[in-house]
Amino acid sequence: MQRMKQTTLNVYAWFERRLQLEGPVKDAALHQVPRQTASWWYVFGSAAFTLLFLQIFTGILLAMVYVPSAGEAWRSLNVLNHQIPLGWFLRGLHGWGSNFMVAIVLIHMAQVFLFGAYKFPRELTWIVGVFLLLMTLGMAFTGQVLRFDQDAYWGLGIGASIMSRVPWIGGGLVHLLLGGPIIAGATLSRFFALHVFVIPGTLLLFVFVHVWMVLKLGVNDWPMPGRVVRRETYMEEYHHLAHTDGIPFVPGAFWKDLIFSGAILAAVAVCAVVFGPFGPSGQPDPSIIQTVPKPDFFFLWIYTILSYLPPQMETPFLLIVPLLAIAILLALPLIAAEGEKSWYRRPVAVLLVSTLAVSWGVLTRLGTTTPWSPHMSAWSGDPLPVNRIHDATPLARQGAVVFQVKQCRNCHSVGGSGGERGPALDTVATRLTIDQLRFKVVTGGGNMPAYGKNLSPSEIEALVRFLETLHPANEPPAYDASRRAVEATQAAESAGEASRLAPHPGSTP
Amino acid sequence: MSNVTYPANPQPTTPDVNTAIAPGDPRTVSRRWLLFKAGIALNGLVGVVLAVPIVRYLFAPWRKDASYDSWVSLGALDAFPVGETRLAYYKNPSRNSWDGETDNVACYVRRESTSRFKVFAINCAHLGCPVRWFPQSQLFMCPCHGGVYYADGSRASGPPERGLFTYDWKIVSGDLQIDAGQMPTLSNTARLVTISTRSGDSKCSG
Amino acid sequence: MRPLAQVLLACLAALTAGCEHAPGYPGSPIVRPHEVADFDTLYDENCAACHGAKGENGPAIDLANPEYQALVDDATLRKWISGGMPGAEMPAFAQSAGGMLTDAQVSALITGMRTRWSRPSGFSGPTPPPYAQTQTGDAPAGEETYQARCSACHAPSQQQITSPDYLALVSDQALRSMIIAGRPDIGQPDWSHFGPGGKAATPLTAQEIDNIVAYLASLRNPTQATNYAPQQPDATTPAER
Repeated sequence: MQRMKQTTLNVYAWFERRLQLEGPVKDAALHQVPRQTASWWYVFGSAAFTLLFLQIFTGILLAMVYVPSAGEAWRSLNVLNHQIPLGWFLRGLHGWGSNFMVAIVLIHMAQVFLFGAYKFPRELTWIVGVFLLLMTLGMAFTGQVLRFDQDAYWGLGIGASIMSRVPWIGGGLVHLLLGGPIIAGATLSRFFALHVFVIPGTLLLFVFVHVWMVLKLGVNDWPMPGRVVRRETYMEEYHHLAHTDGIPFVPGAFWKDLIFSGAILAAVAVCAVVFGPFGPSGQPDPSIIQTVPKPDFFFLWIYTILSYLPPQMETPFLLIVPLLAIAILLALPLIAAEGEKSWYRRPVAVLLVSTLAVSWGVLTRLGTTTPWSPHMSAWSGDPLPVNRIHDATPLARQGAVVFQVKQCRNCHSVGGSGGERGPALDTVATRLTIDQLRFKVVTGGGNMPAYGKNLSPSEIEALVRFLETLHPANEPPAYDASRRAVEATQAAESAGEASRLAPHPGSTP
Repeated sequence: MSNVTYPANPQPTTPDVNTAIAPGDPRTVSRRWLLFKAGIALNGLVGVVLAVPIVRYLFAPWRKDASYDSWVSLGALDAFPVGETRLAYYKNPSRNSWDGETDNVACYVRRESTSRFKVFAINCAHLGCPVRWFPQSQLFMCPCHGGVYYADGSRASGPPERGLFTYDWKIVSGDLQIDAGQMPTLSNTARLVTISTRSGDSKCSG
Repeated sequence: MRPLAQVLLACLAALTAGCEHAPGYPGSPIVRPHEVADFDTLYDENCAACHGAKGENGPAIDLANPEYQALVDDATLRKWISGGMPGAEMPAFAQSAGGMLTDAQVSALITGMRTRWSRPSGFSGPTPPPYAQTQTGDAPAGEETYQARCSACHAPSQQQITSPDYLALVSDQALRSMIIAGRPDIGQPDWSHFGPGGKAATPLTAQEIDNIVAYLASLRNPTQATNYAPQQPDATTPAER
């Protein structure tokens, strides 16, 4: 036993004499950090680091099977899902790892922003971090492309369409992005190179710089209201704090990092087992047009913005706002390098983060329901509520057929199913009189196309008779008072006529 | 060394063998420095020489639109009944064997009369998603952001700024041919922007 | 910690044992839309909106009515599904007619309807009149039959079917099919039960049905069924880029 221990120590000494890593590792592990930074708020950076290595590891494993060829990629993904034992689990780990990584990186960024950690002397750490965020998002997008299915294909199409809006060089940029004139073999190959070599390589380099600076400059001290950052005095203050009220990084703060990273890895694994891998959806064949493309979760908010922007604002917005946002993020630590760190004294920062978080949440939620998209098969696939059919007159029932066949349902829901682009029509009869309904159908307006050209008079009549029945049982349909008056007089006249014709009931109807 | 010397940088712990070389001799130093500079210059020169072909290689796809386009056949005219809009398919003219299914391209052919056609790209003018034709309501609808177009390709509603992209077409011995080859986007097809208004279509160059 | 440990243990067990039973195990690869041959999928996507979720209670004719299934033959069904029904709202679904379904998918729909909704005995009562009209109907005679046999239910304004707008949207064949096979889902009796309250009466004869259809057809206003503005090719030059 004693000899074994001695041998181990000798082997260690042999390596240490040559590698000489003990000093730097000890320095890094044992350096003093302010006591309060040993907090659960400071674990996100290390969790992102851990996830990066999970991604590299699972990515390499997937690359052993995946075929980066436009002709084969989709099939190789299905082989991974179904023929390689646990291939689906590896895909799940990589996909969920990606989602978790984006989420953790965003949380890390928000925390660092709220804690004022970007201020002197950590400006460059923040700037490098902004690039790390961009690269993480870049990995997420290129990864979605490698999952070469219909979503990937049309997602690339959206990317190319955005590129094409750049003035003068748009066409060239599209060719550059796609590696040719269309989304094809060359496109997948270059996205493979980006996802597997270019971005991860740069990412690792930047992560090294980022972590290096964290070690060299020390962990950001816990913000205290009134403890103002000044270039002249900060280093001394921090040094003082770390040594008078500090603890060694390992194990004082590091145990929380370790536990959180472990928990995140477990969460990724549980998600992979329970929810499984993402896709692939249908074949990447552009001649299949029965498809409803949608981007991955973390790009849904962009998808939502693109649907709500007014057409004339779209190109400027798409081309200027991202650059502006990146410029602001990069310039932030240079502009606000000094001053208060505490969120108690930075209401604008708190408001900004909460506004962005709420907007992001709302946009993402809208992106999952896509109320702006017509439901492509609602007209032929969504049945109408049974009572609407049972209680209808033959003409109204035929109007319901018109309602379906002319694709009204693709944009208007009835009974909770159908498109949400236009208003739900369950109670439309209480809002519009029959004449208003007729006018709206014929002329369209707002976002509704005019149907006057595409419907015959009988179809319009049947349709509005059907729409007229769409009201709650206890609420009568809207009516035009003048029309009522006219109808009443007409009814009185015909009643007079009818009494004269009374001896012959049931003549020509 | 349990504490890192903060904020000063840690000193190098191993002696650097190179610093031992006669730092005081100006002659040696200048010659070595000269050679060092020559080495940098050589690498710089080779770098520039290498950069040119590398950049050329990277920008290989950046070509004029016309170099990608050529006339492709959509099949015999009989396949397109007068007054109707039909889906047609073709193989993209510039393609590789490893493109798989991605070079199957679809487009919509509207035969307005026996000799007059309109060929629409499948890609929505907004962000390129595949629009679907509904013959019953005579509308094209886009599944992505709800762009809608009338049968003649003009914008009906939704976010697109213009009508559907169209292909040039010609009839060659009973075959309908179109000038195709690249994904239609605003950069290569938007030279003539059709802005649809309620009263009708007006064309303006854009 | 214990629940977490249990979850981890469960995962581990799931992974090492039957990994295909894990809840996250992916479903089968997605089939191309043109290769979908499952009747339920095809029906729910293409037919359910008008013909009802289970073939009944839709605004258009109830395909789940066994009498309708017995009345119409495969070739006719194929004709209507593929090419649409002229004079009615039924659109064309076959690719050859601008729709989205292949011939194999149309066949799958027909076979599926037969296995689900037809019954071996077909019509339970007397032999029905033929599906298609065999002789020209006599409209005035049809009006008389209509008054005698149909108007008890159809005279009230609720069930009015003599409106030209309604008739413009329904073809003669659709009227005929509905008279013969009825629509049990909405309470329309078949040809053998025509009469007040849908009570058993003498079945309508083929001639009477021809006459009723001729009478209803005579009430149509041909201009009602055409669009306001027929599509006119505009005078622009061929596609410019």
